[in-house]
Amino acid sequence: MKCEQVRESFPDYLAGAIESASQADIDAHLAGCAACRDELSGLNALWARLGALPEEEPSPGSEARFHAMLEAYRQGMKQAQREGAPRVTLAEWLGGFWPRQPALQFAMALLLFALGLLIGSSTLSRQAAGTAIGGPNERALAQLREEVSTMRQMVTLALLQQQSPSDRLRGVQWTYQMTRPDEQVLSALLRALDGDPNVNVRLAAVDALHQFASDALVRKGLLRSLAEQKSPLVQIELINLMVQLSAKESVPVLKELSQKQELDPAVRERVEWGLQKLG
Amino acid sequence: MAQVREGEVEKLGVLFERHHQSLFGFFVRLTGRREFSEDLVQEVFFRMLKYRHTFQPQNQFRSWMFQVARNVHFDALRKRQREERMIARESEQPVESDSHTPDRQAGQAQEIALLQRALARLPVEKREVLLLSRLQSLRYAEVGEILGCDPGAVKVRVHRALRELREIFAELTGEKRYEV
Repeated sequence: MKCEQVRESFPDYLAGAIESASQADIDAHLAGCAACRDELSGLNALWARLGALPEEEPSPGSEARFHAMLEAYRQGMKQAQREGAPRVTLAEWLGGFWPRQPALQFAMALLLFALGLLIGSSTLSRQAAGTAIGGPNERALAQLREEVSTMRQMVTLALLQQQSPSDRLRGVQWTYQMTRPDEQVLSALLRALDGDPNVNVRLAAVDALHQFASDALVRKGLLRSLAEQKSPLVQIELINLMVQLSAKESVPVLKELSQKQELDPAVRERVEWGLQKLG
Repeated sequence: MAQVREGEVEKLGVLFERHHQSLFGFFVRLTGRREFSEDLVQEVFFRMLKYRHTFQPQNQFRSWMFQVARNVHFDALRKRQREERMIARESEQPVESDSHTPDRQAGQAQEIALLQRALARLPVEKREVLLLSRLQSLRYAEVGEILGCDPGAVKVRVHRALRELREIFAELTGEKRYEV
């Protein structure tokens, strides 16, 4: 072993971390090399002195300072937990309006784009109204209105077919923005009223159909639903609607309902009230 | 520390009890200032609390603590250098006053004082490697983890630092200079 190799192992030697195999080699070298022996003994003495340096004591205030910091931190954590939980950010709130499905997102984007065009052109046409009346602007505007309305119907139909009840509820709410929905939308609403597995969606459908009750198709659908509806809540809601609309044609259906043995007592009471109002 | 990491922050109290004194000793030897070292100890424990999620439970707590400690020291040094550039440089006090006991005749006390002075004259990176491997009794592999190098490199640094310290110490004690 050369001096250089032996000296490289001194840190291990000092730390007592030397392997026994190399220990023998090093000892053999040291026995014959005075320079390395001196070097090692010098370093070893220093190493021992370093180890014997007295421990430093921190001041007694140090511990109190630490505990005050820790306590303040814990209080801060608790407060953050209390405040953090129920807060809903604006972005989250807005996000609630945005559909989760890519196809719907696309339809929504198209709709917003068309809406933008509509607003832009209506502003322009209002400005132009001072100089020229009617003309191509008016036609373009009518066309755009048509497009927006089609788009709305598309979104509504798509929403009404969603898995999640909250999406279907939103679909029902979309119909409030339509002045005259086409047959497809009305049928979809009536289907929701008859067969949606979620009672809240069916109830919302009753309310939404109220606005289109002048439509013969809707009237017929409502009557049919009244005869077939199983949920007492929806039945009561439908009876209320019939009374509000003064729909005399519902009297036979109501009479038939009152004959049923298994009818819910609350519904029976409402049926009788309805018959009295309409009769 | 794993429990602290999971949110039981009060468990940091146990770690403070166990380690704050050796950490304080490390800083005193490294910086030569007691009050400053106490501030640094507080800062280390605060950072361990704040960044508790960065602790990897499979690692040694002491290695992680000294990693944090080095960062704290480095940041504090930078801040101090900025401040010192602005105000007049204060007179240096490299050695702790409490090591200058009146009993200077006592050989051992004098030797300790001289060794401390020698340590203080060592460049900070050499001082650091000696403090970690000797005074903190950390294994070279652990020191390597703290300094971000392999154990072989730590041994080389320890060796060099020791030789330089020996020279300075010899100079201070008036001994014949050791040939290197």
